[in-house]
Amino acid sequence: MDTMKDIEWAKINRDVLRSLETPRPAFWGMVAICVVFVLAGVAAEIYQYREGLGVALMNRPHFWQLYIANFVFWIGMSHSGTLLSAILLLTKADWRKPINRFAEAMTLFSILTAAFFPIIHLGRVWNFYWVAPYPNERTIWPNFRSPLLWDAAAIFTYASSSALFLYLGMIPDLAICRDNARGWRKKLYSVLALGWSGSAREWAAFRKSYLLIACFLVPLAVSVHSIVASDFAMSIMPGMHITSFPPYFVAGALYSGCAAIITLFVLLRYVFRFEAYMTEDILEKVGKLTFAIAMAWNYLNFVEYASIFYSNDMFEKEVAIQKLTGPYAWVVWGMFLCGTVAPFALAFRKVRRNMWAMFVLSLILQLAMWLERFQIVSPPLASNHEPWTWNVVWPGLVQLTITAASFAWFTLLFLVFCKVFPSVSMYEVKELVFHQRKVGGRAELTDLDKLKDEAIATEERLG
Amino acid sequence: MPKKKLVRLFATFADFDKAREVLMSLKELDLREACVEDIELYSPIEHPEVEEILGEIQQPIERFTFFGAITGAILTFTFVAGVAQSMFTYQPQGGKPVIPIPPDMVITYEGTILFGVYITVAAFLIYARLPKRLKKYYSPKVSEDQIAVEVDVYPEHVARVKEVLKSCGAEDIREVRS
Repeated sequence: MDTMKDIEWAKINRDVLRSLETPRPAFWGMVAICVVFVLAGVAAEIYQYREGLGVALMNRPHFWQLYIANFVFWIGMSHSGTLLSAILLLTKADWRKPINRFAEAMTLFSILTAAFFPIIHLGRVWNFYWVAPYPNERTIWPNFRSPLLWDAAAIFTYASSSALFLYLGMIPDLAICRDNARGWRKKLYSVLALGWSGSAREWAAFRKSYLLIACFLVPLAVSVHSIVASDFAMSIMPGMHITSFPPYFVAGALYSGCAAIITLFVLLRYVFRFEAYMTEDILEKVGKLTFAIAMAWNYLNFVEYASIFYSNDMFEKEVAIQKLTGPYAWVVWGMFLCGTVAPFALAFRKVRRNMWAMFVLSLILQLAMWLERFQIVSPPLASNHEPWTWNVVWPGLVQLTITAASFAWFTLLFLVFCKVFPSVSMYEVKELVFHQRKVGGRAELTDLDKLKDEAIATEERLG
Repeated sequence: MPKKKLVRLFATFADFDKAREVLMSLKELDLREACVEDIELYSPIEHPEVEEILGEIQQPIERFTFFGAITGAILTFTFVAGVAQSMFTYQPQGGKPVIPIPPDMVITYEGTILFGVYITVAAFLIYARLPKRLKKYYSPKVSEDQIAVEVDVYPEHVARVKEVLKSCGAEDIREVRS
């Protein structure tokens, strides 16, 4: 059990509100690095915009490459927020409370990062709005039968629902900020808190609405990554046309999301001095969850390869053999090493409770998931149905720069969020403290009863 | 007969666990002397136990959610099918159905959730009566670690209710006359 029952409520407010004002100097260093990378990415995108997609080395047969792999990676990353917030909320797992806020924020920012990639990948960026269904002078509508359109619908639904879920869950905390802030912050929080005063009526409506939205978000999260999987599985490309792709993608998404939560958990804990709230017990639980999801992902990975070899489909087998032995083999084996072997470290309690070991491990797991997305996209394109188009192409500098910029962009958005909004849910931590005190109180009473019974029994024996 | 003007009392309590005791005392007093018109509790965290005393707050938000989701499903499917129908004449389908059910179901599914979530948020705002202006006598301590009880009292009973609030440990009692 997390030992938070002795924390005073006023201290919770003070600690979290202090994080908005005075983070460690490392915060500014991270912001500066992120800004540099984002600017580099913007420069790369401007260059690609002016010269065309050729500079990104995307040409037949490699029409999809790192941009789409990144898109899948970032969409996957967004799943953890929903997992922690919605599923753990519905199952009444109290340990989610100190970490659900930043996990939800992570969801939103990773979707916003993911949404950039289809636009960047378009080449003709200025036409991106054609995907929106509206009456137009072209008298043409988007093709709703295409998984790419499903993607647009799913991402819009997921992004807006996640944003509302995050915002709704933040209203009581925004009221706390409003009551303690000055200057521009006071104005901002006053508007966003909507006049929340903590009345019983407000809490009742809040509780019900929050749970109802959580009920929607769980199937929504599953559908989003299943639809992303359909981008590949609905094609007839060997190596992509795989039935188990939707659950495989969902498991991979949860896996990378949990790894990202560990990374941000350790970072936030250090940068904003949240040692009292982001405890080793919580990290251990996230570690166990990650381990369980890693095993599910491994199973589905095995199923994917097993079904290819059982089906004995010539093209599928050829692509699989190429993946395992060809020029992309190091990517695939790197994925197995980082995603299949490395998570076994989580079986050890010492590792699960060591902040920096978990930080390094989480980065390794994320690398595994990133490699997984790359090996889904690139190797099948390199050896497809038409041998005369076979060609191995590695991502060029433009793609790599934009990829690095996406990580910086995500981190920047996240850091700015944590500086402006409370990244630990104050009212939920208070609830946690309150319930732990109650449980602790009951335990003490039970102990007293036990002592009384023992004393009576002893007296009777003596008597 | 003209309606009596009520006096509003706003009392804050340092002890969060007092909520139940305060509300019970006020309810008992009201049962004996019929002096209280309305009681509202303000707290820094959700306090579902008070519903046992104040009575369940009727907020059929789930109905909004249900009908929002159904509306979303119908509107989305009609839209997607309508587009397919309107395109039929100048985008030949090559033998495929004009309104294909499986792919349209995917979009319909997303529309169901989208509308369900939006309507739930709208219902939350309606039933929580937000956005609104903060009351002048609102205490920021309520968002920290105190609870507050707002009670509308008939003028002749103000002293009696104040006494009860004080006996329960009220730190501060403000009187608001409209």
